[in-house]
Amino acid sequence: VARIFRLWEKKRGERRTGSQLVAGLGEGLFFGVLFLIGSIWLTYLITSYLIPATPQLFRPGFGYWLMVLVMTSLTLLGGGGVIYAVLQVGTSAERRSALAKRAANIDLVHDALPSSRDFPTIPRDTNLTNSPGIRLAYRLPVSHGTVWVLFAATAFFLIWNSVAAAIMIVALRNHMAGRPDWFLTLLAGPMVLVGLWSIYYFVQQLLLHTGIGPTSVEISDHPLRPGQACQVFVSQSGRLSVSSLTLSLVCEEETTFRQGTDIRTERYPVFSLPVFSREDFRIEPGSPFEQEFQLQIPDNVMHSFKSGHNAVYWMLSVRGEAHSWPPFERKFPIVVFPPTASPRVDRWNR
Amino acid sequence: MEPLISIRILRANRQFYPGEELECVYQVDAVDAEDIQALEASVLWHTEGKGDEDLSVHHFDRLLPSDAPEGDLRTQRRLTTRLPNCPLSYAGVTVKIRWCVRVRVFLRRGKEAFFERTFVLGDLPKVDPPRRARSVSSPTQSDDDGTSADT
Repeated sequence: VARIFRLWEKKRGERRTGSQLVAGLGEGLFFGVLFLIGSIWLTYLITSYLIPATPQLFRPGFGYWLMVLVMTSLTLLGGGGVIYAVLQVGTSAERRSALAKRAANIDLVHDALPSSRDFPTIPRDTNLTNSPGIRLAYRLPVSHGTVWVLFAATAFFLIWNSVAAAIMIVALRNHMAGRPDWFLTLLAGPMVLVGLWSIYYFVQQLLLHTGIGPTSVEISDHPLRPGQACQVFVSQSGRLSVSSLTLSLVCEEETTFRQGTDIRTERYPVFSLPVFSREDFRIEPGSPFEQEFQLQIPDNVMHSFKSGHNAVYWMLSVRGEAHSWPPFERKFPIVVFPPTASPRVDRWNR
Repeated sequence: MEPLISIRILRANRQFYPGEELECVYQVDAVDAEDIQALEASVLWHTEGKGDEDLSVHHFDRLLPSDAPEGDLRTQRRLTTRLPNCPLSYAGVTVKIRWCVRVRVFLRRGKEAFFERTFVLGDLPKVDPPRRARSVSSPTQSDDDGTSADT
């Protein structure tokens, strides 16, 4: 009986112990039923609204439109699910990928943009080369990762402190009225402490973004290749007493994966090469720190890579420590292409 | 009984460089000709590691019994393709990119089986975790046979 109908089955990574065909049929059936329920009810609701002679089960109003919304959702979900299930059954991952690639190749917008067909999976560098530099050819844009930290810190600081303030006011009012609520008082204590920490963290992030002057990085060539040398110009403005300023060439791997119902993204640094470092100096308004130096991309390193859930990113990272300021880091993405094909083929053939 | 699928890449060390031509032969055996509904041969890369798997096909052939003389897809076939510029084979810490030739056979009653043989594109060294070394160590060897069969 277990071979014919298995209530439970094990999932081993992407593989399953049960029949793929039966799973596909089950999935198709489930979404088909959803589609049928949704479409039949939706037809009935619309018909009863448009044709007055039809006996009306629902009078147009909030409930009616809510039912229309729910049934439309069911129809779309069910229909989409059936199409997806049909495409999955009997079609290998390779065939789906080949079809997707063929569709991408006839995309006209794709044709207008450079490099994607000759170098698939390498991120385009259009956004990195559309801003000319003052000293060198290109001014690199700064990565916006730290802006999101400030945004999250602001949101947390506002929401948490609003809730904490409301609880504290209620607790204080109860105390003043002579009816102390000790549970609420005890709850308010830790909430206020977390709120104070969130204020400190928010102010710290705000000062990092507004107090420390802008960092600018320019580069003479782009994109880069392993073994290639280029000039880099770094500029740091503000009013700072800097204890150290370092520019490093960094490579990070990024993975996106499902963990339960969450989708997580993790970054792992696999390569870091300090290129330039300076210690103990002052930066005054109107006279920014400026330095130009040579950067050499090492031989035999992985090129930039981006696919659906995995990526390899290259960047120039500027890390600084200044007196009375928390350490700061600003990242400037670059794109590294693979080495040119022909010399390697020649070398291989020798 | 599961079919036997064999793939032979016509280069001993199975290492290639971008722009080179990959040539291999493959064959399906130990199955009746009329049981084979379709045969797919592809050259592809896929990721391994912590992230969800990504896969992209570089070369894809799908054969039906009507494409073969007397409807027999069991004869030895040759696959030739020019390899792309990237992505290169990569053995990182959390991201790995593997190239392979994969042959998948579709049988009756929705059953299928596949077999793949890995090869290396490029000659990138294996990446060590940063605490041990900053960048490179010994050159990447093509891993085991790259053989895995599944049904």
